[in-house]
Amino acid sequence: MTGRGLRRHLDDLVAGRRPRPFRATPDEADELRTAIELRAARPGADEPREGFVDGLHARLAAELGATGPAVVPPSTGAGSGPLRPVGRRRLLVQGAGLAAASAAAGVAVGHALTAPGDAADGSGTITPAAGVWQTVAATAELPEGAVQAFDLGTVAGFVHRVDGAVRAVSGSCTHQGCRLRLDTARNLDCPCHTTVFALSGALITHQLPVAPPPLPAFETREVDGAVQVYAPQA
Amino acid sequence: MPTGEAYADWEAVYRDNVDRVYRMMFAKVGNRPDAEDLTAEVFLAVLRPLRVSASVGEVRAYLQATARTVLAGHWRRTLGLEVTTLDDEHTATAVVEHAATAAPPARTRAILAALPANYRRILELRFLDSCSVAEAAVALGVSTANAKVLQHRALRRAAQVAQEVRP
Repeated sequence: MTGRGLRRHLDDLVAGRRPRPFRATPDEADELRTAIELRAARPGADEPREGFVDGLHARLAAELGATGPAVVPPSTGAGSGPLRPVGRRRLLVQGAGLAAASAAAGVAVGHALTAPGDAADGSGTITPAAGVWQTVAATAELPEGAVQAFDLGTVAGFVHRVDGAVRAVSGSCTHQGCRLRLDTARNLDCPCHTTVFALSGALITHQLPVAPPPLPAFETREVDGAVQVYAPQA
Repeated sequence: MPTGEAYADWEAVYRDNVDRVYRMMFAKVGNRPDAEDLTAEVFLAVLRPLRVSASVGEVRAYLQATARTVLAGHWRRTLGLEVTTLDDEHTATAVVEHAATAAPPARTRAILAALPANYRRILELRFLDSCSVAEAAVALGVSTANAKVLQHRALRRAAQVAQEVRP
């Protein structure tokens, strides 16, 4: 028999309400996926609601107001202009999005973050005086050529495998500590001053008066199917 | 837009991609409130650190990567597990290639066609026609309790069929 959580979730789905969370078994997840596929197959079901596209545009304009001239979309309802005060709901949504995206894609937030764990002079290997080996990925998640972002709280970085060996470099720019992000060319981009590093840590391009040092590396090892870096404890 | 070109500004990024990101999210979660929130989450995460010089192709790749991460977080919060099965590799191509379709996709029709008649009927009533369990029970001439059992068995079976009909 279907569990009560799934039944209720399906009832919400059909009624167009936000489905309530429940602890799903793998079988229940399969059933839910099938139900979702059927819901999404209804003609026109995936049409964005009228007002949603303009409403989100206005929210984004408010968020990004400082970065450029925001165009007020025509015919949005009262209170959805670009200068609408920041609501709690929006902050929550944004926070979750940024955190989630940062975790997997190495997405940088547009603020300068200084990473206290990184040596300011850059280059070389980070060997903390009081570090511990910490797992940042499973060996299975890191085949040859793969890259994974990690964030241990004290330090963040990118781990990758090249020629069978695991390497990890700091994920903070050596200029002002901005969070680096992985780009589609598999380089690490700094959003603050358009500096670009290779996964090896080497500087590729920069527009600064003085070239920033290369990214420092972490000591790495693989134990029992886990990829670990030696880093200070959070 | 040709994928080698660059967008004029963040608004161009948004206008060119919001529809496709929303539709992809809807295909994944099947309900409007979640699809809207997740779409907002993707753009809020993507637009802030975006380089204006990035090409259309790079921006879309970045949107895809972010959409997958956002979805994974959604399923973790909603179902309490890493539901990789709900966020498969189709997500990535869906963002780029998703096109509006007038009829239920061929794949959905194929799944339904492979089911026994009463299984197909309850799934159609529930998930295509948006009937409640009680309404579906009346339409099928069975008790509500029976309709619940039938729905469960039909979904189980359809989920198995779906594995075989993967595009």
